[in-house]
Amino acid sequence: MSRKAPRRSLLALRALLRDRGALVSLGFLSILVAMAAGAGLLPIEPMRQNILHALEAPSASNWFGTDELGRDILARVIYGARTSLQTAGGAVAIAACIGIPMGLIAGYYGGWRDAVLMRMVDVLLALPGILFAMAIIAVLGRSQMAALVAVGITGIPNFARITRAQVLSLRSRDFVTAVEAFGASSQYAMFRTVLPNAWSPILVQAIVLASLAILLEAALAFLGIGVPPPTPSWGEMLRTGKNYLHEAPHYAILPGVALTLTILAFDTLGRALARVLEDRHDSGAGLAAAKEEGGR
Amino acid sequence: MIGYILRRLAQLIPVLFLASIAIWGMIYAVPGGPIGMMVGENATPEQVAAVRAQLGLDRPIYVQYLDWLLRALQGDFGQSIHSRRPVMELIAQRLPASFQLAAAATVVSLAVGVPVAILSAMYPNSWIDRSLSAWNALALGVPTFWLGILLILLFAVHLRWLPSASAHIPFWDNPVGALRNLALPAVTLGVYVSGIFARFLRASLVSELRSDYVRTARAKGLPERQILTVHVLRNALLPFITIVGLSLTNFIGGAVVTEAVFTYPGIARLLINAISQRDYPLIQGCIVVILVLYVLVNLVVDVLYAYADPRIEYN
Repeated sequence: MSRKAPRRSLLALRALLRDRGALVSLGFLSILVAMAAGAGLLPIEPMRQNILHALEAPSASNWFGTDELGRDILARVIYGARTSLQTAGGAVAIAACIGIPMGLIAGYYGGWRDAVLMRMVDVLLALPGILFAMAIIAVLGRSQMAALVAVGITGIPNFARITRAQVLSLRSRDFVTAVEAFGASSQYAMFRTVLPNAWSPILVQAIVLASLAILLEAALAFLGIGVPPPTPSWGEMLRTGKNYLHEAPHYAILPGVALTLTILAFDTLGRALARVLEDRHDSGAGLAAAKEEGGR
Repeated sequence: MIGYILRRLAQLIPVLFLASIAIWGMIYAVPGGPIGMMVGENATPEQVAAVRAQLGLDRPIYVQYLDWLLRALQGDFGQSIHSRRPVMELIAQRLPASFQLAAAATVVSLAVGVPVAILSAMYPNSWIDRSLSAWNALALGVPTFWLGILLILLFAVHLRWLPSASAHIPFWDNPVGALRNLALPAVTLGVYVSGIFARFLRASLVSELRSDYVRTARAKGLPERQILTVHVLRNALLPFITIVGLSLTNFIGGAVVTEAVFTYPGIARLLINAISQRDYPLIQGCIVVILVLYVLVNLVVDVLYAYADPRIEYN
């Protein structure tokens, strides 16, 4: 199993790279991640103000123009990518760390544990994600951590439901029964036997959720309750840029292009991965459900 | 049927109960708690004690919750900390604006989404289908607030046809003025929701087009257009009703940012301002009202679905 696994994922990766949309998305996201991670090495200064050159149009010295304080918009878009990716990554991690065990326990044990956990998921789903995130920020106050936690909590139901659906379909399979018959503990059966076979829809869910997390983080910043300034954030840039539509339309356009391309790239990649894995595994139902959940 | 509605209502009770505890408990989780937010950091112990007694915070915690719940059930969420006016009054002022935006956006989303879905399903895998599905991906992928900004740039800043900030004008008082103010926010929200509608309706139509009764209709020599509009669309609209219900969360989420983009005076903007001002009674009131509306619309959608499809059993 352990020798076979990497070969299988290599095959999936090869199939994924044959998809034109996935290839372009992967390329774009790789460049974005590299720029966000290495932003400190680039000769850009997102915080340096120069009021004399405020709201200038794109030029050779400032490719994306300057903002209302004369700061370089391109530099802020690149550092904004860092904020976006950090928040989305943290949020997906929180959602996965809580949602996956919830789904595992609910699906594996069933009974009252299932009822209680799924009612909790229902409550999380009862409120539209953005409202829930807003309520959490109302309690925690405005900070990057609050935005990360708020976005993360709204993603828990997605992971919990996908994992539960996967576990339910795997629970009665012979290899799980065999492991249990050999006397394995339920933890071993859950985490070492069931979970490794349920990863593909969960991975798709993680990627689709990343695009939703980036969108939600930007929406919160746009509403003025996300990552607080002066930290560069795409949503905050759009919020401020909207006040200068007459003087500097590029200010509200260019960060939006970066945001939209990133969301579309994650979404395209998630859908392509779902298609590839659907062809390779017999867990099509789970993957279809993952895509549905992603569309929430 | 009535039994079905009652059962659906009963299923909502545990969810609403847990949600009400979460919303009520919110102010206790705020750093400093409910007293801190009422009296501020520099209050004397006497002031704190007075507010404590006034708010009834010296009573047992479950009494405080039940008291809040009973008053909330009567629509009493107390006073706004910021404006000192009853929370329900502030919300009631904003609701007509939100309803009007929701209605206009629904019209736009159906007017765009349904034809897109029908055209895509009529010519599957053609260039029409591919371009329309690309349009759908764009409608879903472009953030609502950015689309709103782009529309303002084009129609308000460059062409100067429409206002960049939308006021609420009741439709029946001044239809032209109302439409001028509603056009941009309704298109912004409607285009996004149309993407969801079109994607699901297309899938539903394509699967219906493969059914036996369609083959029979074709064999009878019925024109394709008649098959689609008379037979297929009717059946495909059934699952679509559920999608309308499911997309409510997206609709509300979209409405929140749309109201912010166009500084539209709806309930979502009231909530955003309340959060910025840390006006907790108002935050609680807004969230409860939106939650109740959301749950009620979902219920209506479920009941409509059961009503429209005789194959669904109420038991």
